[in-house]
This record gives sequence, C-alpha cells and structure tokens, in this order.
Amino acid sequence: MTTIKTGLLAATALLLAVPAQAEWAPSRPIEFVVASGAGGGTDNFARTIQAILTRDGIIDNPVVVLNKGGGSGAEAFLYARQNDGDPHKLIFGTNNVYLLPHVAKLAYTVEDLQPVAALALDEFLVWVKADSPYQTVMDLVNAAKDAPGTIPFGGSQSKDTDETLVALIEQTTGADFKYIPFNGGGEVGVQLAGGHVAANVNNPNENAGQWQAGAVRPLCVFAPQRMAESAPISGDMGWHDIPTCKEQGLEIDSYQMPRTVWLPAGTEPDVLAYYEAALQKVAESDAWKEYLAKTSQSASFLTGDELAKFIETSEGNAVKVFEAEGWTAK
Amino acid sequence: MGNFDLLMHGFGVAITPMHLMLMVGGVLMGLIVGVLPGLGAPNGVSLLIPLTFALDPTSAIILLSSMYWGALFGGSTTSILFNIPGEPSSVATTFDGYPMARAGQSTRALTLAFMSAGFGALLGVIVITLLAGWASNFALRFGAPEYFAVYFLAFAAFVGMGSAAPMKTLVSLAAGLLLASVGMDSVTGSIRLTFGFEDLLGGISFLVVVIGLFGIGELLSTVQEGLRFRGVASKIDLRDVFKTIAELPRYWATYIRSGLIGIWMGITPGGPTAASFMSYGIARSSSRKGAPFGTGRPEGIVAPETADHSAGSCAMLPMLALGVPSSATAAVMMGGLMIWGLTPGPMLFATQPDFVWGLIASMYVSNLIGVVLVLATVPMFAALLRIPFTIIGPMIVAICFVGAYTVSNATFDLWLVLIFGLVGYLFSRLDYPLAPLVLAMVLGHKAENAFHQSMLLSDGSLGIFFSNPLVSGIMAVGIALLVLPKLMAFGSRFRRRVPVE
Amino acid sequence: MTVKVFHAELGTAVATGLLGVAGVVGANELGHGWTESGPEAGYFPFYVGLILIGASLWNLVAAFIHHRRAQAHLAAGGEADEPFLDGERARRLGIFIAALLAFVVVTLTMGIYVGSILYITWSAWRQGGYRLPLALGTGAGFALALYVIFEVIFKIPLLKGPIEPLLGIY
Repeated sequence: MTTIKTGLLAATALLLAVPAQAEWAPSRPIEFVVASGAGGGTDNFARTIQAILTRDGIIDNPVVVLNKGGGSGAEAFLYARQNDGDPHKLIFGTNNVYLLPHVAKLAYTVEDLQPVAALALDEFLVWVKADSPYQTVMDLVNAAKDAPGTIPFGGSQSKDTDETLVALIEQTTGADFKYIPFNGGGEVGVQLAGGHVAANVNNPNENAGQWQAGAVRPLCVFAPQRMAESAPISGDMGWHDIPTCKEQGLEIDSYQMPRTVWLPAGTEPDVLAYYEAALQKVAESDAWKEYLAKTSQSASFLTGDELAKFIETSEGNAVKVFEAEGWTAK
Repeated sequence: MGNFDLLMHGFGVAITPMHLMLMVGGVLMGLIVGVLPGLGAPNGVSLLIPLTFALDPTSAIILLSSMYWGALFGGSTTSILFNIPGEPSSVATTFDGYPMARAGQSTRALTLAFMSAGFGALLGVIVITLLAGWASNFALRFGAPEYFAVYFLAFAAFVGMGSAAPMKTLVSLAAGLLLASVGMDSVTGSIRLTFGFEDLLGGISFLVVVIGLFGIGELLSTVQEGLRFRGVASKIDLRDVFKTIAELPRYWATYIRSGLIGIWMGITPGGPTAASFMSYGIARSSSRKGAPFGTGRPEGIVAPETADHSAGSCAMLPMLALGVPSSATAAVMMGGLMIWGLTPGPMLFATQPDFVWGLIASMYVSNLIGVVLVLATVPMFAALLRIPFTIIGPMIVAICFVGAYTVSNATFDLWLVLIFGLVGYLFSRLDYPLAPLVLAMVLGHKAENAFHQSMLLSDGSLGIFFSNPLVSGIMAVGIALLVLPKLMAFGSRFRRRVPVE
Repeated sequence: MTVKVFHAELGTAVATGLLGVAGVVGANELGHGWTESGPEAGYFPFYVGLILIGASLWNLVAAFIHHRRAQAHLAAGGEADEPFLDGERARRLGIFIAALLAFVVVTLTMGIYVGSILYITWSAWRQGGYRLPLALGTGAGFALALYVIFEVIFKIPLLKGPIEPLLGIY
C-alpha cells in the first residue's frame, strides 16, 4: 500500500516537474516583501540586494519592493502565508520571522515560510554614555545588582531582540535593569547620548555616529570573537578594539541577528535552488561586501542545512529566555 | 562666520549643471508623487534609493531631498482643489484652502499656499545654516517626558479652541484615539483591538482614513448638491498670481509665528504634520477680526503651509546631526545615508562638509526651483476643475482608491476608504469636526508611547512631567493654551452680560 | 425617501457609541489597570472607550431634546427643520454610493484597471450623457495613465485581476 502511494506521489511529482523543465526561472516581476517600514534596517537590506540583482544582471525580471512592516513585521509573514506556493515573492526579515509567533498570538507559524538564506549577521554591543562611570560591562551589571530595577536600559521595541538580550543578561547575571522600549535603534541612540537612559544594546551602525562624536562609548560585543579590523572610529579605537562580553566576564557567548530571506511555503525545490544561487552571487559581489563594511555587519552566508541549524539554535536560545520571562503567548 | 564660508563652499558643490538637472527632475517627480494621495514622499524617496547607488552621495541626497520638496509642494495642490490632502501634512491646508477655491479663487489659494511653503522652507534652511550646532544639542535634551509634553502642546494648541459642539468634538477626538491604538503597541508589545482580524494587525493607516474622510466624503457632499463642483469655474489669469504675491506682506505676523512653530516642531520630534495643525490652531486663536477660519481665510492657508515646510526642512537637521528623523521621509533618507556609507551623527558636519553643506545649499536652490515650477503648474491644475464632474469625479474616486491601495498593498484598505467616506459625509453634515479625529490619529499613539515610557522611567509618578524647567515649561504653555481661551470666553461672556442686567 | 436630521443624529450617536463599546471590550482583554510601571496596554483604549460612550450618549440625548423642541415648534405652527436628505438628493447620493460599492467589488475581483475603466465609462456614458465610444476612450485612457505612472515610472504594482496576466501584464 505504502509503496503504491510513494510510487504515485513520485509519478505525480515527475508529471509536475517535466513541464517546468527542471531549471526554474521567474516568469514575471518578483516582489520583495520587506518586514519593516521604509528606511528600516531590513528595508536597506532588501533594497541593497534589489540594486545588486538588477545592476549585475543576476535576475533579468523587474523587482518591486513592498513594505509590510505592521505588527513588528508580522504583516509580511502573514502575507507569505496568504500567498503560499507563489514563487515570485521573497520575504525579507531578521530572526523576527521565527521569534514573533512565540511572543504574540499570530495567525502564522514558521512552517508557513521556507528559509532561503541568511546573508549577514548584525552584532549587538553594550553602549553607555561617554561620561558614564561604567568602564566594563561587569561594572554596569554590578551596579544593577546593587540597586535593582533603577538603572534605565533603553532598547528598540518590546519583547523584540533588544529586550530579549537585556533579559538574557539579567538571567545570566542576576542583575535587574529597568527596560524602556523606544521605537527604533536611532531613537535609543539619541536617548543614550542625551543621558535619558544609562545604556543600550544597539547594533554598530545605529550608534556609530554618536560614538564618532564621543557622545557614547561601547563596552563589549556579544560575539564569539572580536569584530573585523576597521579604520579608527573614535580616537584611535576601531571596531576590532572592542572586547567581547565574554572577555569581560559576562557569560554570553554570542547574540547576533541574522538578516534572512524567505519564500512562502509550498514552492518547488527548483525555486529554492534558483534563489539560493542568485543570492550566493549577491553575497560574493563587491557591492555586497561594501554594504557590509559600511553598515558594520559581519559577513555570513548560510543556506540549506547550515541555515536550518542556525535557526534551530537561535530559536531555542530565545525561547528559553521567553519562557523564563513568561512572555510566551498561548 | 564660519558657517557662512561653509555655505558658500556648499553652493560651489551644489550648483553644477548635473545637480541643477537632478533638482529639476527630483522636484517634478516629487510633484507627481505629492499630488497623488496615498503615494507620498516616503514611498517616492524609497523608490529612488536603489537608483542612487550609481551617484555619489551628494548628488544622491540632492535628488532625494528635491523630490521631498516637490512632494510637499504637490500635496497642497489637491488639498486646495479637491479637499483631498496629497500628503498627511497638507490636511490642515484643506480647512481654508478648499473653501477659498470653492469661492472661485483657486488661483489665489494655490499661490498663497506655494509662496508660504517656499517662505517656510527658506526660513527653515536659514535656521539650519546659522544654528546647526546649537539646535542639535537642544534636540538631545528631549527624553520621553519632553516628547510627551510636545505632543500635549500640539493637541492643546489645536483642540483648545474649536467652534463645534464640545461633545461632538470629544466624540471625534476619542474615535481618533481609539483608531490610532489598533495594532501592535511598541511599548507593551501587545496586539490591541484587532479582534482577531489579520487585516487590522498593521493598524489602521492614517493616510487611508484621511483619503476616505476628506476625499470620498467631500465627493459625497458634492454629489448630494448636484453633479458639479461647487462654484469653482474661475477664469485663470496669470495676473491673479502676481496680485496674490503682492498681498503677501500683509500676513507677516502669521508668517513669522508659523515659521517659528515649524522650526520648533522640525527640530524637536513633532514633525511637519503636527506643526501644520498646531500653527493653524494658533493662527485661528490669535486672529480677532475678519471672516471666521474655515471659510477661506488667507491666514488659514498661510499658517499651515509655512509651518509644514519650515518643519520639513528643519527635520533634516536632527536626521543629519543626530541620526533621528523627525519625519517619515527623513527616516527613508537616513536609510539611504547608511547605504551610501555615511554615518549620521554630530561628526557628519566635520567629516563630510561637502555632503552636508552641498545639501544645505541645494535646499535653497531646489526650493526656489520648486516654487517656480509649482507656480507654473497653477493654471494647469486649476483647469482640471473645468472638466465636467461626471468625468473628473469618478477619476478622483479611482485615484483615491488607488492611493489607499498603494499605502500598504492591502485590499482591506479599499473597504476602509469606503467606510470612512461615509463617515466623513455624515460627520460633516452633522457638524462633527473632522480635524480632532485626524490629529488624534497622527499624534495619539506617539503621545501614548511617550507617556508610557515616562511612566516606566519614573515608576509611575506623574511628577516627571514637571521634573525640569524644559518639560515643565512646555507643559505649562500647553495647559495655558487649553485653559486660557475658555477662561477668556467665560470672562467676555460675563462682561457682556453685566450691562444687560 | 426622506431622512430626517434627527434620525441621522441618532444613527451616528449609536454608531460612535458602539465604537466605544468595541474599545472597552477589546481593552478589557488586555487588562486596563495601572501597575507600578505605569498603565497596562488596555488602559488608554479602555478609558477613551468609556469617554466615547459617554459623549455619544450625551449627543443622543441632545438629539432627542432638540427633536422634542422641534416638534413643539412645529405644533405651534412653526416651520419644520430642513430634512437630512430628501427625494432627489437621496436618489442622486444613492446612485453614487451604489456605483462606488460596485466599483470596489469589481476592483477586488477584477483588479483596479478593469474597475476604473468600467466605472469611469459608466459614469461618463450614463450620467454625463457622452457617447459610449468617447466614454470608453476616457476610461481606457485613464487606466493607461495609471499604468504608466505607477507601474512604469514608479514601479509600484497595483491590484490586478484575472485578465491582466492573459495580456502579459503582471
């Protein structure tokens, strides 16, 4: 019985595959659905890829970008579910694709999307105001232990990557901060420079301008090793001179945000292969390397099993934090 | 006078044949984007960003900012002619612009709007030129309580002195606040008031509501009166343009006041939309003689337009110097900056003088180009009104729906436009004011966020709103604006009564 | 068909009141208390909803009072208030709204191009009294302009139905 079923399935698959002539190629304009508003980090990510794809002639079909940033990006992922099996829609996000359904009651699950690739990792750093008394991250943590719940820690959005990281620091060290959510990284950066919060965990390019001006300074980076060499940013310090948090005694190995590309679930395997190849070419282009350097993100091209493994680990770690904080939506 | 030399250097960078071409092209594209409701400056600018990879950053920002100016100019056109705000910040222009156009003075209304806009922009750029360093330091002093105080001030300035029935104003305001809170709340991370509808997850777009309330609502009122636009067929005469320009100096007080409000709201996080409402509210309360506002008062056009544009140009300053955009378009441009490898921040002025001062110089030039181009289009737009209603009416309807669709590519928004069209018609027939609803939708959620952040900072104590001179001062002005007109009205009624008795 | 201002006032007050009820109900699910870290997510919607209900009730009562007075005025031989909508206006408005509704439904099923061609053609032909070919030309010209501005110049896809793909337009 089962063999017949498998045989039938295989036959159907063959029948379906034959007219498509194995190699799939897009036959109409491709939609880039961006899980953030215009101007956000994800938006820049998608538009850079769009520019490289068309300029280098990797994809000849026109590419249009749609911003669906509502509900912290959930709008874009719901859109993917509504368009399942559509090979002409790519969804651009971060780790929010697989983390959002854990903290909010939403009408999609991560199974509604097919991961295609991760193209970059954005780092997280602990920043304080330049004249703040904290010299290492442990100074900050100990101060929060001495006076629990009084040190204001700014971050972008609620129950999102920033608050998750702050919660992770608290769970690792037993410190207690007062987390204040703002609308975006840029806003948190200015709140820190103005002294309205004591610290933040911004990505490098969200705080670089203020660092350059000497208004804020980084304490440490949540990465297994230091960031890549760069020209000095502030004084004689460059990105590579920032110690990792682990070096300073904060036991968090790594906390990074992937920039990810997804397809709606239910497309042919050829479609996935096609986009993987196209994005591979993007990741190898000089323009892409330039974008990574300018936005101080780390290069990392993941597809297939590697990507699945990365998502599994990243999701598992975050869910542990969510459960400890009682954020999981049921 | 260091800034002056730098500005002259900037002019050297900005004025090249190539840059002038980009400015003209940018302004023209912006005009189209601005005229179409829904398709606003943020969309337009973000669509151009991939094209700018081939340009050097200075040329790129000149193109993008020129488009922004064009869109700001274009947005006022449809506000005045059809009561459909092309941009959120031109909603307040409809209040007096449309009645004036309906009274047969569309050329005058458009000219007033464009000249005021140009003046506002100029004022804004002058402030950026002279006070760049000081202003960005000032903006740093704004934490959550100060943000809330600014929003409160904007509310107070506008709502404090409405003429409609108080309970109807309250209904309109509360409905706007409720609509604004639909969707994801960024401070608590909870999804609110969606009742399980996926379409509501992204919230109810302010733009879609405005297109329905004003655009479709107005068409319904027009149809009820007969299938033609009410009394707009005026003859178009270039002399009208010059006559209007000649009357401008009369409104000098409104110009200066509105320009200052715009500059303030552009540097602090209020943004152009809040600035135009606030400026209109204050102009209304400080005028004593003449026809009431809302019936085609020239000051009712001058005030919001001047403030809108001075805020729009000043919004570039916090974006460049702090990395905080105080308008949606500035946010998109900042994304561009990062892709081009420029880091917005206090050091940008020192490390990239060509870029910064080239941009500032281009703001003078491209706004000038904008005013000239847009004035040249006045006769063309005014001629649109001569097309029979049975043709132009359905076209406006189609453009409204297309515009609403492009806001977030959601078909659900088409239904919203229809529903809010009916609401707009009902409200205006029954004398419910629409402006409080619109203002509440623009500022309601931001004000709530800032309030909530302040409460987190202060552990729930309201004292934080009076914790330093800056925030106390803004709050005090807000309260005064809210209370004084009522007291004065009460006082004058009392005085008037005395002799009678 | 005649609609009185009184009825329109009642309807509007009831509708805004219901919106307030929706706000209160929705906020109730989220919690509307005041914790040590400030208001809960439902705090503002809850109280704004209550205010909306209160103000709507006020308007409802005001409409009744006004109606009572108008009736008394009428009984005393005064003139009646102008109706909200009367025969001719109601008919015109009814047709326009029906056409709007049809436009939205056609747009949702057939796409915005077909919707606007049909709508503009119908309006120019039946209401404007233009000859059908001219009306059709206007509609088609408008749709073409939409296509050029949005899809060609600004690369923004508009809503399409089942017909466009057959013509090779996506």
